[in-house]
Amino acid sequence: MSGIYVHVPFCKSKCTYCDFASYPRETGKAELYFACLYKEMKARANQYRKKKFDTVYIGGGTPSFVDEKFIVGAIRQIKDKFDLSAEPEITIEINPGTLTEEKLSAYKAAGVNRFSLGLQSADDRMLERLNRIHTLEDYLSAAEMLKGENFNADALVGLFDQTEKDLEKTLSVIADSGASHVSMYALKPEEGTPIFSSYLNGDLPDEDAVADLYEFGVKYLKSRGFDRYEVSNFAKKGCESRHNLNYWRRGEYLGFGVAASSHADNRRFTNTEIIDEYIKCILSGHFAEISSEEITGDEIRSEYLMLALRTEAGVDHEEFRRLFGKPFEATFKEVLKSQGKYMDISGGRARIKPEYLFVQNSIIISFM
Amino acid sequence: MAKTKKENIRNFCIIAHIDHGKSTLADRIIEMTGQVAERDMENQLLDSMDLERERGITIKLTPVRMSYKAKDGKEYIFNLIDTPGHVDFTYEVSRSLAACEGAILIVDASQGIEAQTLANTYLALDNNLEIMPVINKIDLVSARPDEVAKEIEEVIGLDGANAPRISAKEGINIDRVLEQIVELIPPPEGDDDAPLKALIFDSYYDNYKGVICFVRIVDGTVRAGVKIKTFNSSKVFDVVEVGTFDPHLKPKASLSAGEVGYIAASIKSIQDTTVGDTITSVDNPAAEPLPGYKKALPVVFSGVYPLDGSKFNDLKDALLKLKLNDAALTFEPDNSAALGFGFRCGFLGLLHMEIIQQRIEREFDLDIITTAPSVSYKVYKTDGSMVVVNNPSHLPPATDIDYMEEPIVKASIYSPPDFVGPIMDLCQEKRGVFLDMSYIDSGRVRLLYKLPLNEIIYDFFDGLKSRTKGYASFDYELDGYEKSDLVKLDMMLNGDVCDALSIIVHREKAYARGRAIGEKLKDVIPRQMFEIPIQACIGGKVIARETVKALRKDVLAKCYGGDITRKKKLLEKQKEGKKKMRRLGTVEVPSEAFTSILKIDSE
Repeated sequence: MSGIYVHVPFCKSKCTYCDFASYPRETGKAELYFACLYKEMKARANQYRKKKFDTVYIGGGTPSFVDEKFIVGAIRQIKDKFDLSAEPEITIEINPGTLTEEKLSAYKAAGVNRFSLGLQSADDRMLERLNRIHTLEDYLSAAEMLKGENFNADALVGLFDQTEKDLEKTLSVIADSGASHVSMYALKPEEGTPIFSSYLNGDLPDEDAVADLYEFGVKYLKSRGFDRYEVSNFAKKGCESRHNLNYWRRGEYLGFGVAASSHADNRRFTNTEIIDEYIKCILSGHFAEISSEEITGDEIRSEYLMLALRTEAGVDHEEFRRLFGKPFEATFKEVLKSQGKYMDISGGRARIKPEYLFVQNSIIISFM
Repeated sequence: MAKTKKENIRNFCIIAHIDHGKSTLADRIIEMTGQVAERDMENQLLDSMDLERERGITIKLTPVRMSYKAKDGKEYIFNLIDTPGHVDFTYEVSRSLAACEGAILIVDASQGIEAQTLANTYLALDNNLEIMPVINKIDLVSARPDEVAKEIEEVIGLDGANAPRISAKEGINIDRVLEQIVELIPPPEGDDDAPLKALIFDSYYDNYKGVICFVRIVDGTVRAGVKIKTFNSSKVFDVVEVGTFDPHLKPKASLSAGEVGYIAASIKSIQDTTVGDTITSVDNPAAEPLPGYKKALPVVFSGVYPLDGSKFNDLKDALLKLKLNDAALTFEPDNSAALGFGFRCGFLGLLHMEIIQQRIEREFDLDIITTAPSVSYKVYKTDGSMVVVNNPSHLPPATDIDYMEEPIVKASIYSPPDFVGPIMDLCQEKRGVFLDMSYIDSGRVRLLYKLPLNEIIYDFFDGLKSRTKGYASFDYELDGYEKSDLVKLDMMLNGDVCDALSIIVHREKAYARGRAIGEKLKDVIPRQMFEIPIQACIGGKVIARETVKALRKDVLAKCYGGDITRKKKLLEKQKEGKKKMRRLGTVEVPSEAFTSILKIDSE
C-alpha cells in the first residue's frame, strides 16, 4: 500500500523555528497553486497508473488556513485520479487558531478522518514567543469540535526554559482533550530560522536537558496510555498513523506541491521549494523535480534499516530475508558484536531497545 | 695539482632571522640579474612548496644560478642557495653553507639583531664563510639603520658602516648588494683536472630522472657518461645528465670545480645517495671524501601511524621519499598497542614535525595520527646499564630504574627590556635556570637560560610570543644531559591505558599536565553510547580524572513529508566522520586528540 502527500505552503505567519516550505505573503497565489496541484496529480496519475493508495496526508504550511474549498477539491481530485482503497486514512494538519465548524464539516464530508492539531505548547507566553498564531484556548475549542474523532496533537520539547512541569502541562492538556495520538518532537534549531540565534546564544536547553525532558515525556505519555511506536510518535492502541508507518516501512508515496518528496519504483525525487518556480514548471507542462535519485543495491538495504530501526516494531527477520536474500543476523554478525547490546533481538524481530532510541544514529550508521 | 681561482664564480647564501626578508631579497637578486622575466615571477620564487608559501617561511634550500654583468665590465656567475630561518632548520642552513664561500647576512632595520641572526652568523663563521651584512627594510617608518649598523659592529663584530642599506621589497639599493657580492665574497678554488669530489647538499626524487642530487663540485669535472659512485655506497651509476638551476633544472655539458648544480644518474633507490656524502668518479677516484658536515641529530620523537592500518606501506614509502631531501628525518618501525603498526620518527623540532606531518598528508594524501612528542632520555637502570629511551612506552618498569637524565639546552632570548619580567616567569615555569643577562643596546636585552628540552618542545615558543607581544626571539643549542626526577604519565580511556598518549614528564609537572591533557581529551572525544572515564595516572595511581558523559541525543528529527534522502545524507555524513576516528579499546578517538595534547598550555 502507498501514500499520497499534498503540501499546502501557506501560513498566516511563520513560526520562529520553522524551516519548512511555507510562505505567509503568498496566500494570494492559492487559487493558482491548487490548479497546479491538480495538474501535477493528473500527470503523475498517468505515470503511475497501476499503483494503489491507502493513505492521504495534507500537510504544510497550514492547510487549515486556506479556504476549505481547496482542500475539498484536492481530495476530490485524488479520489478521481488515483486508485484509493475502500477505507483510506485521510489526514489534515490543522492550526488550532484556524479551525471553524464550517471547515470541519467540509473536511469530514470530503472524507478526512484523521486530524493533526499543532499545539506545540500549552503555555500561551511560549506560543507567543514561538510566533504561533493560536492560544491554549484555541486548542481546547478545536479539540472540543473534534470530540470523538481520531486526532493527533503535536508537542515540542526543548523550548526556552522548558521544565518537566511545563511539558507535563502540555502533554496532560493533550491527553485530557481526547487525542488518540501524540507527536512529541525535540526542537531542532535550523540555520536560517530566527530561533537559531537563540540557540547560538545558549538560550535553549542543551542536549542533556532535552534528553531528560524527553525521557520524562515518554514516561508521562506511557502513563496516559500512549505507546511509543516510533522515535517521536505515540498512540493509543490501534491509532498509529498509517501514513507515517508507510514511510518507515520504506513504502512508496507520491508527493504533490512545493518541496514534496516522492518514492516510487526505487526512485526518490523532490520538488522545488520555490513556489513561483513550481507554478512555472507545472504550467509549462513539466514536473517540478529538483532532485531525483535511483536507489539500488546496498542502499535499498541501508534505507530499509535506517527507517525500520526508528520504529518500535524494528526489523522483521522474515521480511528482511525475503527482501535481501540473507538472514538479518548472518548479514550483520560483526556489527551485532558491538551494537547487539543496544538491541533487543527476539520474537523474529530486531529492534533498538527503547532506552537507546534517542541515540539511534550512532547505532544505525553501523548497519549502513 | 694546482688549485685555480674561479674568478668569475660567486657561491653564496643568504642568512637571516625569520621574517627579515630573506626570500624577498633572493627574489630581487634573481630579478635584477634578469634570470626570470618579471612577469613570470611568482612572489618568493624560491619558496616552492605550498607549505612554505602559506606559512611565509623557507624550509628547504633551493639553489639558483644567475649571471651578472658587474660595473667592472666582467660577467659573473652567481649561485645563490636559499636557507631556512627557523631554529629547527639550523641543520639545513649548515648544509647550504658548506656549498658556499660567502653569506649575505640580512638584518631588519627596525628589529635589529635577533636570536637567529646571531646563531646563523656563528654557523657561517664556523664554516669559514665571508659574511656580508645588509640592512633591510629601510623603507619602514620604524627603520633605524644607523643604530642597527652600530649593533652589527658591536654585537657581531662585522663592518656595519659599509653594509648596504636596502629595501628588498621596494627594490632600493639592490645594485649595491650585487656589487658587494662581487667585491667581498671570495671566488671558489678548485682543480678541474683533479679526481672528482662533489658534495651532495640536497636531493629529491624525480619520477622520470630518478634521484636528482644537488652538488657543489669541489674538485674535478663531471659530465654525462661518467661512471660515478659515492663513498658511503658501493653502487656505481652512469651520469645521465648534469646541469644548473635557473631555478628549474637546466641541462649543461659539464660541471667543473667551483660550480653548483645537479647530477642525475638514474639512481632509483633513495638510500643510495645520502645528503652530505661525496660523489667521485669510478675511473679516477678521489682518495678521501669531503668532510661533509655535522650530521643533524633529531631531538624530538613521535609515533606516526596511518589512520587506516592497511596503509602502513604507503606511509613507509612517503617517509622514504621525504627522507631523501630531508636527511634530518629519522624513522624506524614501531608498534603501539593502541594504534597498531607505524613508525617512531625523529625530528629537529616541533615545527619540523608539524611540517613533515603536513607533507605526508598533502603530498602523499595519507591520513595519519601523530602521537605526543618526546625527547631522548637516558635511563640508568639498577643493574648498572643505561638505555636511551625516546618512546614512553619503552620505558623500563619503575622498579628497574635507578635514575634518569634529560637533555638540557642553553637558550638565548632577545627582547625589549619591558618584557624581562614575563620572560623570567615563563622560564621559571619551564624549570629554567638563569645564566646571564646583558644589554645589546638600550632597547634590547639578551637573556641566557638553561632549560630542559622537554619543556621547550611543547608550547615554550608560543608562550614566549604571547607574553612579549611577539617581540622576543629565541634560539637554543643542546647542552648535554642532567639528572632529573622524571615519571611516566599514562592516560587511561575507559579503564585501558592508551600507550599512544603516554608522556614522560617531570614529577612536579605531572599533576598539572595530567589534568590539562584530561580536560583536552574530554573536549575532543565525542560523547559515545557509554560514559568514558579519562584518567591520568602515574604507576597505576590515578592523579586526575575527567569524564566524557554518555551520549544522550543523537537522532534525526521528524521524517517530515517523507524527505528521506536528506536524512540519509546526514547519516552518511555521520558515518564518514566516524571513519576518521580511531578505535582504542572500546572508545572512538578522533585523530586530533593525539595532537591536541601538544597544544596544552600548562597553566
